[in-house]
Amino acid sequence: MSGALFFRGLAVLACVLAAQTVLAPAGAWAKTSRVKHVAPPPVAVPESDGVAEARLIEVYRLIGQGKGRDALDKATQLVEDLPNFQLAQLVYGDLLNARTRQVRTLGDVPADLAQEGSATLAALREESQRRIRALRERPAAGTIPSQFLALSPRIRHAIAVDASRSRLYLFENSAAGLNLVADYYISLGKAGTAKSAEGDQRTPLGVYHITSNLDPKTLKEFYGSGALPINYPNILDTRRGKTGGGIWLHGAPPNQFARPPLATDGCVVLANPDLEHIIRTVEIQSTPVVIAPQLEWVERQSIRAQGRPFEDVLHAWRNAKTSGDLNQILAFYTPDFTSNGKTLQQWTSTLKAELSKLQGRTIQLKDVSYLRWTDAADTMVVTFGEVADGTSTGWSKRQYWMRDGNQWKIFFEGTL
Amino acid sequence: MKNTKSTVLFALRCGVVAASLVLSVAHADDYTEVSQMVRAGKLAEALAKADQYLSSHPKDAQMRFLKGVILRESGKTPEAIASFVRLTEDYPELPEPYNNLAVLYAAQGQYDKARTALEMSIRTNPSYSTAHENLGDVYAKLASQAYNKALQLDSSNPAVGPKLSLIRELFNPTGKGQRPSPLPAPASVAAAPTKAPMTLPAPADKTAQTPTKPASASAPVAPASAAASAAPAASATATAAKPAPASPAAAEGSAATKEVEAAVRNWAVAWAAKDVKTYLSAYGEDFVPAGSMSRSAWEEERRKRITGKASISVKLENLQTTVDGNKATAKFRQDYRANELSVSSHKTLELVKSADRWHIVKESVGR
Repeated sequence: MSGALFFRGLAVLACVLAAQTVLAPAGAWAKTSRVKHVAPPPVAVPESDGVAEARLIEVYRLIGQGKGRDALDKATQLVEDLPNFQLAQLVYGDLLNARTRQVRTLGDVPADLAQEGSATLAALREESQRRIRALRERPAAGTIPSQFLALSPRIRHAIAVDASRSRLYLFENSAAGLNLVADYYISLGKAGTAKSAEGDQRTPLGVYHITSNLDPKTLKEFYGSGALPINYPNILDTRRGKTGGGIWLHGAPPNQFARPPLATDGCVVLANPDLEHIIRTVEIQSTPVVIAPQLEWVERQSIRAQGRPFEDVLHAWRNAKTSGDLNQILAFYTPDFTSNGKTLQQWTSTLKAELSKLQGRTIQLKDVSYLRWTDAADTMVVTFGEVADGTSTGWSKRQYWMRDGNQWKIFFEGTL
Repeated sequence: MKNTKSTVLFALRCGVVAASLVLSVAHADDYTEVSQMVRAGKLAEALAKADQYLSSHPKDAQMRFLKGVILRESGKTPEAIASFVRLTEDYPELPEPYNNLAVLYAAQGQYDKARTALEMSIRTNPSYSTAHENLGDVYAKLASQAYNKALQLDSSNPAVGPKLSLIRELFNPTGKGQRPSPLPAPASVAAAPTKAPMTLPAPADKTAQTPTKPASASAPVAPASAAASAAPAASATATAAKPAPASPAAAEGSAATKEVEAAVRNWAVAWAAKDVKTYLSAYGEDFVPAGSMSRSAWEEERRKRITGKASISVKLENLQTTVDGNKATAKFRQDYRANELSVSSHKTLELVKSADRWHIVKESVGR
């Protein structure tokens, strides 16, 4: 009986959502179709990553197709499973109301609620739009964020955050290159991005690494199922005088399955199932986290070529170091170079000691990764193992390079 | 669609009075007595009477239903719920037990369960307007709750829940068939459905804009004619083929009276025998089916309803006919049963003679 019915009351909402969802390329719904097999039994299976959003999008799709009754059934199951998924509750409310009246827009709440909860309502609408947009405007197959110029195959995963889309992309890395494996809705700082000072409620932008995995038992429930701190402020941030700290990737509190797009004090917040997947996946210390205002996606094939000029510079540095010529080496360093508090002059003695140990042996750079970060300046975050021929071990090093005209120079170097 | 829906609802509400008149079952006196006791607030007495009756008629749907109402009125909510649940299990075709179950669930704040029950009620009878109204209120309440959760507004001050309409009596204990809104006469309705203040648009908005109620889509029915078709919708078995003795009044009738009686009996026999062709041919060209239903749609529905039964039994009692020229009226009590369902009701058939045959032109439940 009900299957044949059309939710006239949802026509307008359907248009709103259809404009954003139904026109999406087929690939955008890949997750949805995967989820179809997962979703139906509303049993208390632990939610896996991405499923909640896929179920929400399925509801949207049914609305867009005019299948209001089916949409209501799916939404009912969804809020039953995840009563704290606010956006799902909002859509569920709309679908219920659509049974008896026109629903004019997403979150067509009564006037008094709209007034009392106006900020939340606006945030939920924004969340909806950003989720839809991220799913609709998918990165083209075989493209990766432009920052990942070279990643050693030893780095098994990488993360990139697109602030404009409230989206975190998780990649798997192999000899063949990076491969996008999952992406999740995220919340960022209340005041947006470009963190510069402690307490500014902004999320930092730049190239970071996961530094640790905090035991959820030690965390307040506010942080959800875990936390992965990143190394804000990094060398570049510190050089620029940025302050603050404690920027984490963490989960959502018990009363919120997801938080609004701009809601945190600067952290990157995920739904708990999504965060849990990341925690299970990534490697502490090695997994890079790029946080960009907007990601630029480039062909995986062409990115190596883009990195070639810098790779040449890096090898020139290696050759200089192999030569043992102090002046030739120091030419690669900026005057304001620092290394863990040492000035270039102070650090030069460290360099000399290193050179004397090398005794003229050739240096090999192993497992080289370099990630480019370009804003007002053009910088490179480089990680490698430095091993002299004839020795079995060496140093794991990280360098920060900055381009000045055609010249790349090192403004930080340290061991990991 | 919009207009159809509100028109139907309006029509249904208007049909209420007529509907309340037609309720009459085999042991109407017992039912009436219990109902009156309930209305008079003599709940203990009513319960005793109902129990007494049920001890000899344990399956009687109407009395079990009344007992559920009594339990509810007595504040024995769990018992009332249990009794309506059992009714829905034994008589899944009846919409009223689902409706009342929903009323009880809603009163407990269990709106999800209320919703499920009302959706079942409507599934069993898409034109059941009380259930629709109740469901509309439950949807609105659930929507309000969902919005409050979505916006994380303080729900420590929850809007007052909707007061759903309780049904006092089974309109048609046989289940199947369209029926008008059952007995929402003041006495029989606990309270007019109140809108939850936070949740509902203006009432006008609600009626004017409810475009997609299943009722209008699937089974538009005008009340008067709905009543007409309610009875046949029930069922009848071949045993019914043995016609009940004609009433004395009818017996001493003229030849014309005898013709009318024969036509009516043939109609009942064909029905009980599930001889759809003969059954339908008993209706004249002028016969107007329920509501806005076309003749062909009505015939199709009758065909489905009749052939869908394992066995049907129809008995006619107290057949009284009056003949006025080529027009006749036949009034009788109709006992029919199918499976475990059985119901008696008063029925009136209006017939017209044409081409030497009496045809039914109007069928209504009630005297």
